[in-house]
Order: sequence, then C-alpha cells, then structure tokens
Amino acid sequence: MVNANAERRELQLKLKTSQEYRQAGFAWAGSLIITVALLLASYDWETQTVKPYVALASLVYAVFTILQVLVTLLIRRDLRIYGEIRSITRALGYVLLLSLVTGNVFLGTAAFQLIQKRKSPEYTLAVYTLLTQLGVIAVSAINLYKPYVADTFLTGMFILLAVAGFHLLTVIVTAVFVRRRQVPKGLLWVAYPLLLTSLTGNLFALVLGIILIVRIRNSGNPAVAGWEDVLERLTRNTTAMLGLLFIAFLFSVSVCSYVTFDYGMAVDNNYSLILQPPSLAYPLGTDNFGRCLFTRIIFGARISLIVGVMSTVLPLFLGGTLGAISGYYGRYTDNIIMRALDVLYAIPGILLAIAIIAAFGANTVNLILALSVGAIPTYARTMRANVLQVSTFEYVDAARAFGSSNRAIIFKHIVPNSLAPMIVKATLTIGGAVISTSSLSFLGLGIEPHIPEWGNILKLGSTYLETNSYLAIFPGLAIIALVLSFNFFGDGLRDALDPKMD
Amino acid sequence: MEAAKHGGINVAKAIGDSYGKLLQNASYRYFALVLGAPVNLFTLLVHRNQKAGDIHTSVLQEARQELAASGLQERLESEFIDQLHSKARFFGQQASEAELENEARKLAAERFELIAAERADSRLQEKGLARSTFIGTFQALLQHPLFLPLSFIPGFPLYLLILLYSSPYLKYIFERLVMTIFVIFGVSVLVFTILYISPFDPAVNILGQTATDAQIMEFNRVYGLDQSYLVQLWHNIKGIAMFDLGKAFAGNEEIVSAIGRKFPVTLELTLFSLLMAVVIAIPIGIVSAARPNSWFDYTFMLIALIGLSIPSFWQGLIFILGFSIKLQWLPATFNPGNWLTFIMPVVVLGTGLTAAIARMTRASTLEVIHEDYIITATAKGLSRRKVLLKHAVRNALIPIVTVIGLQFGGMLGGAAVTEKVFNISGLGSYIVDKQFIPDIPAIMGGVVYTAITISLINAIIDILYAFVDPRIRSKMKQY
Repeated sequence: MVNANAERRELQLKLKTSQEYRQAGFAWAGSLIITVALLLASYDWETQTVKPYVALASLVYAVFTILQVLVTLLIRRDLRIYGEIRSITRALGYVLLLSLVTGNVFLGTAAFQLIQKRKSPEYTLAVYTLLTQLGVIAVSAINLYKPYVADTFLTGMFILLAVAGFHLLTVIVTAVFVRRRQVPKGLLWVAYPLLLTSLTGNLFALVLGIILIVRIRNSGNPAVAGWEDVLERLTRNTTAMLGLLFIAFLFSVSVCSYVTFDYGMAVDNNYSLILQPPSLAYPLGTDNFGRCLFTRIIFGARISLIVGVMSTVLPLFLGGTLGAISGYYGRYTDNIIMRALDVLYAIPGILLAIAIIAAFGANTVNLILALSVGAIPTYARTMRANVLQVSTFEYVDAARAFGSSNRAIIFKHIVPNSLAPMIVKATLTIGGAVISTSSLSFLGLGIEPHIPEWGNILKLGSTYLETNSYLAIFPGLAIIALVLSFNFFGDGLRDALDPKMD
Repeated sequence: MEAAKHGGINVAKAIGDSYGKLLQNASYRYFALVLGAPVNLFTLLVHRNQKAGDIHTSVLQEARQELAASGLQERLESEFIDQLHSKARFFGQQASEAELENEARKLAAERFELIAAERADSRLQEKGLARSTFIGTFQALLQHPLFLPLSFIPGFPLYLLILLYSSPYLKYIFERLVMTIFVIFGVSVLVFTILYISPFDPAVNILGQTATDAQIMEFNRVYGLDQSYLVQLWHNIKGIAMFDLGKAFAGNEEIVSAIGRKFPVTLELTLFSLLMAVVIAIPIGIVSAARPNSWFDYTFMLIALIGLSIPSFWQGLIFILGFSIKLQWLPATFNPGNWLTFIMPVVVLGTGLTAAIARMTRASTLEVIHEDYIITATAKGLSRRKVLLKHAVRNALIPIVTVIGLQFGGMLGGAAVTEKVFNISGLGSYIVDKQFIPDIPAIMGGVVYTAITISLINAIIDILYAFVDPRIRSKMKQY
C-alpha cells in the first residue's frame, strides 16, 4: 500500500518535471480547442450546410491532435517504464513537425521540444526565431493570390526565404553545439548575421544574437548572472513563449509589410469589389469600399503596437521617476507627489482620455498622450512601493556610508533593483492600452478614421453586422490575440522574475 | 454632585492630554493654533505672565555658566576636530583647517546647548518643579471650573478637533474624508484646466465658421467665457459644489438635471455587473486556489485571461450578432422597461471585472494558504472546507475588496463604451456624445461627478475596512 503510493508519487513527480510531457499535454489541449472551434465554424447554422474548406481544415487538425495524444501517451509510458523518453519516441517529433504546414504552432513547438534531448534556452529561442520567420513568409505569401502585388514583393520574399533558411541553420547549429551555458567561439559567425536578420523585425533573432554574443564573451566566467535563470524559466514557459511568438510575429509582419504588402489595397477604394465574402485573393473578404480586410488588419497591427507600446512606455518612465523620487525622499516630497497623483487616479482612464481628446482634438499623438496621463499614478505607486522596500536594504546604507550622492544611489542601486515588478506591470498593461486604443477609435475619438487601425476597421464593420459579420469579427479576433499574447507573456514574465509563486 | 464634578475634571484632563498629543503632530498643530485662535491667545497670555517669574530660565542660565567655567566648550571643540580629521583622512577628502575648525565649533556649540538644557532639567526635577510650558498652562487652566464653559463658544472648532484627535477611529475617518474632499477639489481644477487650455474656440465650434464677431462676443458673455481663468474656475467649482453648472452649450438643457437623469442608468448597470462579477468570480477563484494546477484551475484561469483580453465593444457586437440577430433570444437595444434588455450589457460590462476578481481571488488565496495559521487550523482537525472558508478566504478578502473598489471606477468609465454599443442613454454615452460638439461644461460635469462618485466609494471602502479588519484597527491605535 505504502509502496504503491510512493510509486505513484514518483511517477507523478517524473511527469511533472518532464518538460516534454507537460508541453505535449498543453499542445494537444490547445490543438483540440482549435479543432473544435474550426468544427463549429465549418457548419453554417442558418443555411444548415457544411463549409467544405473549413471542415477539411478541422479534419486535418483533428488528425494531428489525435497523433499528439498518442505521442503524449507514449511519453508517459516511456517515463513510467524507462524513466526517460526513448529516442524512438523523440523521432516521432519529426512526424509532428509536419503540423507546422497547417499552421499549428501548439504541436510545432511541442515537436521541436520533443526532438531535442539536451535543451538550452538558445535552442528554444532559435526555434521561435524560425517559427516567426515562417509565419511572416506564410502571411506574406497569401499576396500571391492577389490580382497585383507590391513592386518590391518578389525581392522581399526572396530575402525572407533566405533569412528563414539561415534561421533553420541556426536551429541546427544551436541544437548541436550549444551545451548548458556554454557556447563555442565559432558561433560568433552565427550571432552577428543573426543580429543583421533582426532587421526584418524578428525580435527573437535580436535576443538570440545578443545572448550568444554575451555568452561567448563571458565564457570561462563561472558566475551565473540573474538574467540567465530568468531566461531559462521564461523559455520553459510555453504559454509565455507562444504569447511572445505572436507579438514578435506581428511586429515582424508590421516591419515586413513595408516591402511585401501593398498599402493601396488597404486604403484605395475599389467599387467593383464591395463587400466580397472571404476568398483566396481576399482571405478575410472586402469592406464597403472594396478594400482588402486582410491587408487592412496587417497594416493596423503597426498602429496598435505603436500606440500600445508608446502609451505604456511614457507613463512607465514618468510614473517610475515620480514614484522613485517620492519613495526615496519620503516626507513632504512624497506627500506632495502622491497627493497630486491621487487626484489623477480618481478619474477613470477612459473618461480622462475623452476629456483630453475633447480639449485637444482626436489624433494619434493626442491619443497616446491621453492614455499615458491616466496611467501615470499606477506606475508611480508600484515604483514607490518597490523603492520603499529596496531603500531599507543594506547595500543602500553601504552606498550612503561611502558618500555616494542621492542621485547615484537612486539610479545605480535602487532603480535597477526595483525594476522587475515595473516591467511585469508594463507588459500586463500594454494589453489594456491596446484595448483602450481600439475602444476610443470605435467611439470615434481615437486614430483618424482614414487610417486602417483595428478599432476603426471594427467601427466600420459594426454597421454591417447583420449582413457581413466577418467585417466585425476578424479585427476583433486580432485585438484579442494581441492582448491575450501580452497577458500570457506578462504572466510568464512575472513567474520567471518571481519564482516564489510556483 | 461629587461624581459629576469628578467626571468634569476627568473630561478636562482628557482634553488637555489630547491637546498635548495633538500639538506634537506637525500637520495638526497649525490647524489647531488657527482654529482655536482666541483660546490659544488667552492661554499664551497667561503663559507669558507666568513665565516671567519662571524658575526654568534662571536655572538654565546657571547651568550654562557652570559648564562654561568647567571648560566643556573647549574640550568638545578639540574632540570634534579630531573626529573630523580622521573622517577626512578616511575618505581621502581635502579640507582646509579653517573649514574644519568652523564646523567643529558649530557642532560643539550645539552639543553644549544640549548638555546645558539636560542639566537644567535634571536640576528642576531634583527640586520637584516642572518647566512651565504652553500646554502645561492650558492643562492647568482647564482645571479651573469656569474656563471650559467660557471658552467653549469661541474655542468650539478647537475642541471639535481635539475630540477628533482623541479617538483613533474618528481621526482616521476625518483624515480620509479630508483626503476625499481634497481629491474632489483637485479633480475639478484639473478637468477644468484641461478643458480651459484647449486650443479650440467653443464659440466658433457651436456657432459655426460664419458667426460674426458680435455673435461670438455675445456667446462668450452668456457663458462667462470672457472672464479670467480664476473667475471661471471659481464659478465652476462653486457650480459643482452647489449642483448648478448652468446650461449646456448645445440643446439648452440644464447640465446637472441631464446628468441626474442619466447617472442612475449607468449606476444601475455598473452595480448589476459588479454583483454578477462577485457572485461568479469569487467561488471560481477560491476553488482554483484550493486545487492549483488542476484542470479546473487551468480552464477557468484561461477563460479569465481571455475575458480580460476581450474588448467590451467587440464582445457586445458578438453578443448582438449571436443572441439578437441569429438566435433572436434577446433584444439588441436597451429599453428601460424590459429587464431582458439588461442582460447583455450587464454581462458585457462585467466580463472584465469578473476575470480580474477571479484572478485576484486565486492569487491572494494562494498566498494566504501557505501561512502558518492555515497549517495550525488543519492540524487541529478542521475540515478542508472550513479551513478554506473560515481562515484562508477571510484573510484573503482584503486585497480582493480593494481590487473591486478600484475596478468599480474603471467600470464607471468603461460603461461609456458598453452604453454606446447597446444604445443606452447613460452618463458615459452622454459624455461621449457631448465631446463631439465639444460641449465643455457638460463634459466637465460628467467627468467630475463620475470621479466624485468613485472617490466617495473608495473612501467608504477604506473606512469600512478600518472596522472590519483587526489588523488595520490595531495599526490605527498606534498613532
């Protein structure tokens, strides 16, 4: 009885600590959700007919999901009997890699994890670099069905393909050569070109390049920096990485759309193509001016990202500085700053933004400022609380005893050590800023109506809710996906920076 | 009779003690001195009178002479010079001799005064005498049977302040209310200033580009826009306090009565959403925390995260599409008489809050669940259910209620979007409609009254805490 219990516990512990098993479980659940969603979407409730293409996609997803379930069971069996995953099971990962063709990132990332036995954060980052690049290529390639493409389309596609080839090489190189926290010197030849490829907007390539260079520079130094642990915990967190993948993908698409997409498709009226349903040339249909909804959403990503990030970064700096000053100096300074911010805090963000926009007019810069002002107090409060805590630590006393100036103490000792919660908070609020941006645009108070921004597109689509509901559904899904990604990433970042919650 | 007299003396003593404590509080001191000016002045006169023949001054003088004769000043000075020298050596600082000496002299003088005062005090104590102070005089005066009744009328504000100060609860509530009034005042000034520095000319906006100069002058005169910033600000603040903001630029309606008509709709919507959120979210959060990393936990936390990520206007549109257009279960637009029309707006507005509360409940219960007293409760044989509900949740509730209070403000603001989607004529959509004109006084009224409601609600929550949570209570009493 006791023995059986202990065995069960042991198995559970093995399963719990096996990254492959956890990710496999997550992958089939995520894949199943998409399958069910596709299945529901494939049936038209009004006309009682089945949409053949969507149904086919659902079927393909179902097949891969079943495969993944089987592989998961195999992993479980391996762990139970052999205590580790056999190489035959790992080889099955190559089969599951095929799911990437259908765009199933859940299974794709799980397969990449399964193939590689000795995982390093570099390998994971290289995989995500490749996935981002493939995603950008896939989305850009849809333009092939259009009646015409941008002049730079072909050149751009070739460059993107070449970069993707290089990223594949990077995945293989990191898988073979990178060991735990040890990067051979020769990889500098990979790292610098990687930094160059990040010009396509691939954030993963940028991060991986920097990390490789730093690791090579620090090789031989046995000390482990704090960020290395954080990086390892973060790359092990699938949801956070998937969130980051979508953000990086959207950013990269926004950058690449300058080359591979035609802005005319998004803004020029074409009255011969009004309110077309989704087709190959217009994957998400056209709106009431005959503009391609898909292209509009791609170009809208740029605005949403810029406004979301800017209206988070501005209050982060302003509020952070005010909070740090108020927390460090205390007494009257603290009282004056915090009471002034209390006033700002009492007005709901949206209403303050409406008042500011009413006073200064609706345009992008005013929108960013309006959203930023309302967010200052929360950042100031967070920063103040952190600074109050950090100020009591010994190293601050030590710095003061050695005669450091107040400014040096604040910026060299206190601020760097109280940044972590601020970063987490900022990541989690970018999503809120994106929602506020599109809400205000929807009300007609945000971005100028002629710019393809997600809220604007939705506002237009909402008037055709009854007849062409896809015009309102797709931009909304894009907003949700972006906000959800930021929330997933923020949650992951919090767990990685603050391991005591686990 | 004897008891009453005894009680009277006790009250006088309590007042004297509280006033003594109050005067030590830097921010209260000024108010007390100003509010009780007549009483304070009288006390001061009495105090001066007594001080003339006070023994303290002469004792102090005596002590000072004695110490000076003993060469204390020189000894202190040389000591300080030594210390400053070694300090400069340690830090490798270059300081001139004259500078060091100057500083040493200053430090020595300070220390000398301190020692002298100490000696004088101990002398006085030896003789059984106390130093006559302002507060001591006041306390002595209070013992006089006629002082309190006579000074009660002129010193009423002062006694009120002392009463507030003497009870930690009253003091806390009073301070919180003062804070709230300050915030309300600040909000009025801020919103008015934002709208005042607008580069647009309201007269041209309302009357159109073709308006003549005379028309514009007349418009500015009617709405008081030709007056200076401070005068306009004063009128606005007065208007907000007296619930009279005049007429809106467009539509010729009283702003406050329009707000009064629309605000209850928004408030009702928000309260129902809040109720829905609390009823759904708290049980889910508790169960999730009780079984962390289970399927239930994962599923509901995923749903909560999605709920947090859905823009409410999109959710509203999808609801209209699904339930009104396709399924035809619920009417798409709001109608005050039909409660069925209320369901969709309430759910849409409450989704974000539900998600936030569920996540907060889970996080704060998880944090509490590893505390020692939970282990104690389990060890003494309580059922798991009882441990959770009686010990864990009760202690986890504070941050949850705070989040609810804060989110409530966000909801009152966010209601604007929901109201627009469902065509509800609440305060939110009123502000949005007015901003297109832009009708400055109407926007200002809407925003400021919303902010006032939020401030009051948060103040009430804070005050309620003080009575519910023994931890806050004990902290309050430490003042």
